[in-house]
Amino acid sequence: MSSALDSTSTPPLVRIEGVHKDYTRGSETIHVLRGVNLDIDEGEFLGLIGPSGSGKSTLLNLIAGLDRPTRGRVIIGDHVISDLSEAEIARWRSNHLGFVFQFYHLIPVLTAYENVELPLLLFDMPSARRRQQVMTTLELVGLTHRLRHRPGELSGGEQQRVGIARALVTDPTLIVADEPTGDLDGHTSEEILDLLQTLQEGLRKTIILVTHDPRAASRTRRLVRLEKGILADSTEHTLSEAFPGWKGR
Amino acid sequence: MLKFIELVLKNLGRNRVRTILTALAVLVLTTIYSVVDSTTAFIGQLVSNAADTRLVIREKWIVPSQMPNRYARMIGDVPGVEDWTVWHNYIGYLDQSKRMDRRGLGIATRIDNLREMHPGLETLDPELIEEMKQEKTGALVGSGVMKAMDWRIGQRFTLISMTQAGANLEFKIVGVLPPGGRWSQNFFFREDYFQEGTGDKGRMNMMWIRVRDPAVGQQVATQIEKMFEKSDAEVLVETESAGVARLADRTQSIVAIINIVVSILLIDMLVILSNSISITTRERRREMAVFKVLGFQPGFIMAMVIGEAMLVGSIGGGLGALLAYILSSITLPFKLPMLLQLSVTASAIPIGLLIGAAVGFIGSIIPAWNARTVKVTDVFAKIA
Repeated sequence: MSSALDSTSTPPLVRIEGVHKDYTRGSETIHVLRGVNLDIDEGEFLGLIGPSGSGKSTLLNLIAGLDRPTRGRVIIGDHVISDLSEAEIARWRSNHLGFVFQFYHLIPVLTAYENVELPLLLFDMPSARRRQQVMTTLELVGLTHRLRHRPGELSGGEQQRVGIARALVTDPTLIVADEPTGDLDGHTSEEILDLLQTLQEGLRKTIILVTHDPRAASRTRRLVRLEKGILADSTEHTLSEAFPGWKGR
Repeated sequence: MLKFIELVLKNLGRNRVRTILTALAVLVLTTIYSVVDSTTAFIGQLVSNAADTRLVIREKWIVPSQMPNRYARMIGDVPGVEDWTVWHNYIGYLDQSKRMDRRGLGIATRIDNLREMHPGLETLDPELIEEMKQEKTGALVGSGVMKAMDWRIGQRFTLISMTQAGANLEFKIVGVLPPGGRWSQNFFFREDYFQEGTGDKGRMNMMWIRVRDPAVGQQVATQIEKMFEKSDAEVLVETESAGVARLADRTQSIVAIINIVVSILLIDMLVILSNSISITTRERRREMAVFKVLGFQPGFIMAMVIGEAMLVGSIGGGLGALLAYILSSITLPFKLPMLLQLSVTASAIPIGLLIGAAVGFIGSIIPAWNARTVKVTDVFAKIA
């Protein structure tokens, strides 16, 4: 893993400013995030790690506009995500965000091709161009031979490739991946991580990867650790600091 | 739009058994609804067509009514009577099979004022009246009978009489009565042919008269009743609307029950569809969340759920009404007189389709709203 990117004069793609997130359960208020500040530059491959319940997924949901902070702001590019209406966020997501899930979450009645095509249906695009874009993306993830297969007919690794293609197909500014290898065996995980790394390096995509897996974390170029809702003292860690005792691949 | 429809169809195809069963439930209920609705529509039409300027005259004490034929001229001459006609009922089997579901009611009457004296026949082609005048054995047959018996214009048929034993008359079909309406299951023919063919020249069953306005009607009714007071055949005169009101009174409780049944059927359809769509939506909450993550607007998700319900509803509803129409059109090899009497018209098919779609729409509003408001973080938190 390399160290953090050198600071540049260009503004960060993602800016998280003093974000708090509280949940109320009965009379109890749970402070999941407590004043998180984080900048992520364009083209960065960031790993977000931390123990269960540390607020990783909550932070990812806030970045993806799936939830709103109790306090603070999430700014992505020119948009203050935390201030947008539900319809505006939906529109923003379709244009700027790709989401890779741990459990793939493909639509079971659609083929691999149709699953990847789905986000493009939101765009006013000629069908020929849509087809070309889907095929190009499926080619990138190496799945052109499984176009007409439904998710139930694909292996876990293939399903995750479809999931990645679906996240990529709209050419988003930002890709967030929530434990993308969490449901895969070691060998398949490596293949998926290779793919993500290749795509990030080749396409210069900004990727935020939430993971428990040191192998996945090792592919990122910067690692930040959340603990009890706050970023640890130093927001950047080496792999051995983040995963004590891990010997490497 | 095409992709949206494709998606809706694929969603319906994911659990084919459930989709088919839901559509079947709507189909069966719409079939029953269409038949039941035609009953209430028929009664409603009778009531709405009844007028205070048409009076019906029948024998006061005998059922079925029978009065001397000579009364007709006497009554026709009463001041205030603008027009009149008589009815001779001729009931029998429409073919040699003598099946109970193939009984018919012929009405022997004056042909010259057939259109004027029978509400619903105003649109009858005057040329048919002329043809009837030329053809003594001519019959104008209701569309329901034509369809049930698969008869054609020009064809001849013989009615095996149940009311005039042995007097089986042969008729030539000259034309068809205007479709739908109260005459759908009857046929009209010439009074003189009836009298000659049956030898029954002295009696008639009923008489109809037309007066200028309801006030005159009351006076005329009183006068006619007085004319035959204490005779061998006293008569009862009442306006058509009063007669229908009496009929409606008798059938009021039946109609009320029918209306309740119709309401229950519609509620049943709503519950079945709503339940089915709710189950589907609950099972697919994760997918709804994925749609949201991909950037689909909540309105799209709602439209998708409503679209599925409306499609199932309209297919079930349309096919149900079609089934009712087909059943009422064919003659079954077993007794089903109700369907022969109450014809479900082709217009029931688009109505069934619309009812199914409306039921689908209403029944899916709550599940669709639940799908629309799915909170992505809750769904994925539960999975994790």
